Amino acid sequence: MPNSFFSNFNLARHQRELAALIAYVALLVFVGIVAPSFFNAGNWRDLAVANAPVLIVAIGMTLVIVAGQIDISVGAQFAVCSMLAGALAKTGIPMPLLLLLVPLIGAAFGAVNGVFVALLRMPAIVVTLATMVVWRDALRWITEGTWVQGMPANFQWFGLGQTMGQVLIVAFAFAVLVAFYWALGNLGAGRAVYAVGSEPEAARLAGINPPRVVLAVFMLMGALTGLAALLNSIRFISIPSNSGLGLEMKAIAAVVVGGTVISGGRGTLIGTLIGTALLGTIGTALTFAGINPFWEKAIQGAIILAALASDVVLSRIRNSEFATGSKGTLQIGGAK
Amino acid sequence: MTARALQSIPPIHARLFPNQEWTLLVVLLVECALFSVTGNNFLTTNNGFEIVRLSVEIGLLALALTPVIITGGIDLSVGSMIGLSAVVLGGLWHDAHWPLPVAALATLALGSLGGGLNAWLIARLNLPPLIVTLGTFSLYRGLAEGLTRGLETYRGFPSEFLFWGQGYLGGIVPPQLFVLLAAIIGIWWWLHRSIYGRSLYAIGLSAEGARYAGISVARRLMWVYVLSGLIASLAAIIYVAHLGQAKSDAGTGYELMAITAVVLGGTSIYGGRGTVLGTVLGLFAVVILQNGLRLSGQPAELAGILTGVLLLTTILIDRYAHRRRTVPTEVHSSTEDFEVKNAHVAILSAVILAAALIVAGSNWLLVRSLQQNTGNVPTAANNNAVTPTTNRKLTIAVMPKAKGDPYFASCRQGAEEAAKELGIELLWDGPTEVDAAKQNEVVEAWITRGVDVIAVAVSNKEAIATVLRKARQKGIKVLTWDADAEKDARDFLVNQATPQGIGYTLVDEAARIMNGAGEFAIITGSLSADNQNEWIKHIKARVAEKFPNLKLVGVQPSDDDRDRAFTEAQNIMKTHPNVKLIMAISAPAVPGAAEAVKQSGRKDIKAMGLSLPNLCKPYVHDDVVPSVILWNTIDLGYLVVHSAKAVSEGTLKPGAQELMAGRKGKVVVKGDEIILGPPFVFNKGNIDQYNF
Repeated sequence: MPNSFFSNFNLARHQRELAALIAYVALLVFVGIVAPSFFNAGNWRDLAVANAPVLIVAIGMTLVIVAGQIDISVGAQFAVCSMLAGALAKTGIPMPLLLLLVPLIGAAFGAVNGVFVALLRMPAIVVTLATMVVWRDALRWITEGTWVQGMPANFQWFGLGQTMGQVLIVAFAFAVLVAFYWALGNLGAGRAVYAVGSEPEAARLAGINPPRVVLAVFMLMGALTGLAALLNSIRFISIPSNSGLGLEMKAIAAVVVGGTVISGGRGTLIGTLIGTALLGTIGTALTFAGINPFWEKAIQGAIILAALASDVVLSRIRNSEFATGSKGTLQIGGAK
Repeated sequence: MTARALQSIPPIHARLFPNQEWTLLVVLLVECALFSVTGNNFLTTNNGFEIVRLSVEIGLLALALTPVIITGGIDLSVGSMIGLSAVVLGGLWHDAHWPLPVAALATLALGSLGGGLNAWLIARLNLPPLIVTLGTFSLYRGLAEGLTRGLETYRGFPSEFLFWGQGYLGGIVPPQLFVLLAAIIGIWWWLHRSIYGRSLYAIGLSAEGARYAGISVARRLMWVYVLSGLIASLAAIIYVAHLGQAKSDAGTGYELMAITAVVLGGTSIYGGRGTVLGTVLGLFAVVILQNGLRLSGQPAELAGILTGVLLLTTILIDRYAHRRRTVPTEVHSSTEDFEVKNAHVAILSAVILAAALIVAGSNWLLVRSLQQNTGNVPTAANNNAVTPTTNRKLTIAVMPKAKGDPYFASCRQGAEEAAKELGIELLWDGPTEVDAAKQNEVVEAWITRGVDVIAVAVSNKEAIATVLRKARQKGIKVLTWDADAEKDARDFLVNQATPQGIGYTLVDEAARIMNGAGEFAIITGSLSADNQNEWIKHIKARVAEKFPNLKLVGVQPSDDDRDRAFTEAQNIMKTHPNVKLIMAISAPAVPGAAEAVKQSGRKDIKAMGLSLPNLCKPYVHDDVVPSVILWNTIDLGYLVVHSAKAVSEGTLKPGAQELMAGRKGKVVVKGDEIILGPPFVFNKGNIDQYNF
């Protein structure tokens, strides 16, 4: 084994992202052999547009998980924000203003989670389980399944036309990705998220205010969910009342497959990008490969597990190759 | 768990709520007191046992999850395991002709095996439980769908097996109560009276510490997850016996309900704290809330909202009581106690205020904009309120398949119109999403509550038959609408169109659009929806019989999600470039497919299908959707209520030829079916005349 290659690449640091990347490449190779027609520009464009909102939510979820928290209410928030985006647009508010208002509303919903978790110190999974049910059922109660329809003409694609609109959606997702990638690495606030996630007490002693960081992270999660909901909505001319079902699972799976550690403190947005791409491609790839849709969920589950297991295998290889390197951390799975 | 006994005199709030079990007991008493006033027949032995029957499956899962969560883990795969176990049980019995007891044992073995996979990944490979079980959550459900191709439903189980889910011991006690009791006692003993159980708390508090204390952490964790899989498959057997059918969607969403019960019961999600008693109390707090609200005629969504609020408040109370109490004796734990400064309080208040304003304002906006929508104003829940009247009004309870579906929302408009016209009390309630088990629960509640007529849009005819027969025995008239139950379980069917009629009309219309030749694809609701599978069967039959040049190239699921239907339609157009038509047979899927066709810019492809005219209007005018097929859903709801009144008053009896139904005039009755009329084809010329 050419040791220099591994040490240059710093496998140890990016091993989990690498595992996801290998799974993704394997999927692409498989579909490339079975159905080469998968690789055409139109298909990639559609995949990018459909997954851009998921990516934005997954970016927020990365922050939340890195901070040692979790948010399973994003699907419900997404539905509420979608409906509200439509309702606001119908009042005649100019479209650019919506780009400000809907994330703001999302941030308010995120703040509710944040207040319970950060300031009242309740476990995030319980709080967001409760708010998920509350938002979703309240929305059902109010709308009773009615869609928001009769949107103004400049709602779809912000009135820019299909091609420009699609470019806009993908551009927004990448702008968010780049901005957060930069901020997490270079801003004090970004480093604080990692610090709080890996050891709140140490972070506190280092002068960081952990509750404030956690509150901010939940509000950002909400704002990004709002943005994603708006960008997803402008692909259509009406807004259903049940969107975002299962979005939380999709986002969490994408983040974790991308190598973010569920107990916090570690994870990168590049990993999240790969994870989102991997999970967002499976469904379409299977359709192209002509595999019966009945098996789709099973294959999805198997890929998540395979990505996790490959991570363990990679780390065993690494540990045997660099026996002197970082000690294999004997973390017990059951312990948080 | 901690040194709470050492505390000298606890403050008043701590004495009032010494632990979460007491908080819950108070909640339970309040619920019972409240519902015995607002609900009809809430405080009766019958209802008590019905509540038990409804809580067995979730209860078993909650009991299995208690040790899991106490070790600091979680198991999201239990709901999916119910689905997998149910179809394996059904398959082994029905297809492989194994005797049922053997099939049941094999199912339990499968459950242990599934739990074993979780256990191996978590305990041996040290992977985080949340993520592992998120993976198996999807894997097990996927295997269940794959094995049955989504459409297989196993039915016709022998009555001695069904007894375990539907029967009565001594005329009143549901037999599965003993399974639940056995599980409660077993797990209580294991957790609270055995050394093994104590070690689980140690693991939950600190796995590393437990390891140093000589506990073999990995092995113990493995057994916890194996047990969780085993109990999930036991719950699956009860579920099958309870509903009388085994299908791949069994137990969807049960994991979250079970986790809610466990956490509500005071088990700490971080591990190391929790009791079986707490879980049982948590379970009943949730189930009684649902049952009581139903008996009080409140909508199902309110139960969800209140469960969420209950979860937040009990844990909040517990946290504060617990924290103040233990602060002086515990080692100062700074993650728990950051100082709260004035600045924090200010930020907190500002955030709460702003959030409340935004949430409230957005609600107002949403309601207003939906009202403007198309003039179709859902007259909200206030119709449900129990209004005390001097002379008792006729009470008619109508259930849709899913309340959140725009199709049923428009049926409701008609039902309410008729109720107002006839001066009767209309109860409109049902599952928020398609769920056969929930339909049974609602019917049970209506029987207990005492209504005059029950009219159900049936999700699954085998599953609902038993409760509907029970309702008829109690003298309640039973109608079915939208989809039928077994014939002896109801008096009349309000038939909007037969599955055959729907399938044939769809194919005939498709053939007209495609000029009799070419490829087409179907986008369905979910792969396990009985209705849609029935339609697809007739679509295929009609194509084979009359249009040999039409070729069906694929059936893709949309999960009744517009966005998913959009993506599936895009995939179909790319993988089958020659496709000329996409036929969507779920209301949200038609606009999804239509938008995909429109965005592709291809004029040679059309979309069509079964949907509401309002959802499709813009696409019909754009020539993307040449036609939409449906019956008049408002009239359907209207006719259901009129028929219900007629049946209840005896003006509609078996053998009648026709029925006078208000503004609809004379309606044909054929045998035991009230016929709405043939499916209607909406197109560019006529669609603007309809508003639903």
